[in-house]
Amino acid sequence: MNPITYALREIRRRKYRTAVNIAGFVIAISTLITLVMAARGWESCTAIPLNSIGTDIIFFYTAPIKPVGSGCYIVNHLFSYPFNQSMLTEIENVPEVEGAVPILMHRLRAMVFTGIDPSETETNAVLPSSIIEGRYLKPDDGYVAIIDKEYAVLNNLTLGSIVNYAADFEVVGIVDVSATNIMKSHIYVNLPIVQEVLPEKPVGLVNMALIRTDSPDKVKQTAAALEERWPDARTVTGSDLAETAVGVIQMNENTAWIISIALAVVTILFMIKSQLGNVAERTREIGILKAIGWSNGNVVNQIVTESLIQGVIGGVLGCTLGYIFASYVLSTIGGEIGGALKFVSVDPVLLTVGFGIALASGVAAGLLSSLRATRLVPVKAIRAA
Amino acid sequence: MITKKILDIANLTKTYQKGSTGKIKAVDDVSLEVEQGQFLTILGPSGSGKTTLLNMIGGLDKPTKGTIILDGLDLSKLSADELVKVRRTKVGFVFQAFNLLPTFSALENVEAALAPTDMPKKERLERSKKLLGLVGLEQRADHLPAELSAGEQQRVAIARAFANKPKVLLLDEPTGNLDTRSGKEILEICHRTSKQQGQTVVAVTHAGYVRRYSDHILFMRDGKLFSQIPQEEFEEAT
Repeated sequence: MNPITYALREIRRRKYRTAVNIAGFVIAISTLITLVMAARGWESCTAIPLNSIGTDIIFFYTAPIKPVGSGCYIVNHLFSYPFNQSMLTEIENVPEVEGAVPILMHRLRAMVFTGIDPSETETNAVLPSSIIEGRYLKPDDGYVAIIDKEYAVLNNLTLGSIVNYAADFEVVGIVDVSATNIMKSHIYVNLPIVQEVLPEKPVGLVNMALIRTDSPDKVKQTAAALEERWPDARTVTGSDLAETAVGVIQMNENTAWIISIALAVVTILFMIKSQLGNVAERTREIGILKAIGWSNGNVVNQIVTESLIQGVIGGVLGCTLGYIFASYVLSTIGGEIGGALKFVSVDPVLLTVGFGIALASGVAAGLLSSLRATRLVPVKAIRAA
Repeated sequence: MITKKILDIANLTKTYQKGSTGKIKAVDDVSLEVEQGQFLTILGPSGSGKTTLLNMIGGLDKPTKGTIILDGLDLSKLSADELVKVRRTKVGFVFQAFNLLPTFSALENVEAALAPTDMPKKERLERSKKLLGLVGLEQRADHLPAELSAGEQQRVAIARAFANKPKVLLLDEPTGNLDTRSGKEILEICHRTSKQQGQTVVAVTHAGYVRRYSDHILFMRDGKLFSQIPQEEFEEAT
């Protein structure tokens, strides 16, 4: 009989102990996978909402809650004051700021109406790449609009239809805007037209600037510099936005690893204790094996094989459950900001590390517990009840 | 006829510590010579030191004093690893409680003794089957110990003991858990097989019918070995 067949029989024979051992592995490895993937997913979540519109920072002035009436200026569901468009030039002079794009976003009841500068094709509330039908806006467009796909479907709007928001606009394009895009609006029109048609006539005014920085590493630093320069203004970075939107405790990958490694150590200790119990239960059997000529090496090999098999099963289940759970967690988080299941990607390295930890734990637990078996004196072991 | 001395025991003593001060001499200055192919039986009451002596002969226990020369090897001077080799190649054990591995079939229990050797698996299985045939259990090869009668379990243990073609077969109360009929069958098998293969048998037993199979009977009491057995002691021991 080879050690694996023997090990599988022993594993089946001690179902409860095996189940508990495997559960230990599953908890440790799935937690590791979940935490690390969640941490990575978190980091992705923080980047995507703003990255999808090509910006690093949103600059605006918050306003007190305004009663619903003629509408209001908003930035991601927050009320805001409009400010002079000429400020954008000053913003662009702040170190590390690469560019600032004007946006005027207005909401009336459930409708969001956004004015954009269509010449900005890399950073904007809606980008040309979002067009699924018709065309993108042109700088010289008048009373024409591009509309959101969902809004079009709900209202049976097609190219050539007329939409109304303070004025009538002909639909020239339909966009499919990611749900994670915080600039998602129903209607997009050229900025000067929006400034002209809104009841407040905010000519020369915008209510936010989308800011690109020179380096992604300097986003926070640049946001701080902008707030210092304009103390009443507010800046929102990707991480701020995700924190607000997601509302969960942020955990970085290092923290996830530390927690996971600690858990793995606890698992190894638990496994050692369990395997020591296993050796104690099998004292007589080990004594018999030694009496018929098994060396300590043979006995160690057998115990390690049993422990390793449990590690393999626990590792596979742990990686699978961890991945499923991490996907579930991230999709739930993502659901709140518009579906983030796509943020989760299979990381073979992480799965390999998780599986490797399970194997290493199995071997370590097997080796350490088998030390007890090597110390058993056959004649005494055989007499054990 | 020239006979080879397979076992030479001189002044063998085994002392156990009892409590902080007391000492018990389980085996007390025992000397013994056994020739190859001999069937030696040691009788004696419980606690007389028979099993301790057997364990030391089989390399399961180390003597406190004295020497055991088994097939030219002085067991008292061997390391733990060397004793493993002795158990693997020179001796075969049969215990009163059978001591079979509960998750192994009869065949696998026999093969377990061959597993740590270099013998190829196919050969191991063939030999194990042959040994089971020798003890009349060919048809029960795939049965687990729990599915076998006590006599059948002991026969599996005998097949296992013969697996490595040991020089010496050590029987520790092999009939203790069996009825008379099964006990006689077991001794008959051991006697027949050992004689066929020229193996030495050292048996510790209470079974009176052992006389029929033994070439030589010794008596042990209080750790000491006697060649003369008082009739009343023999009756008491059996």
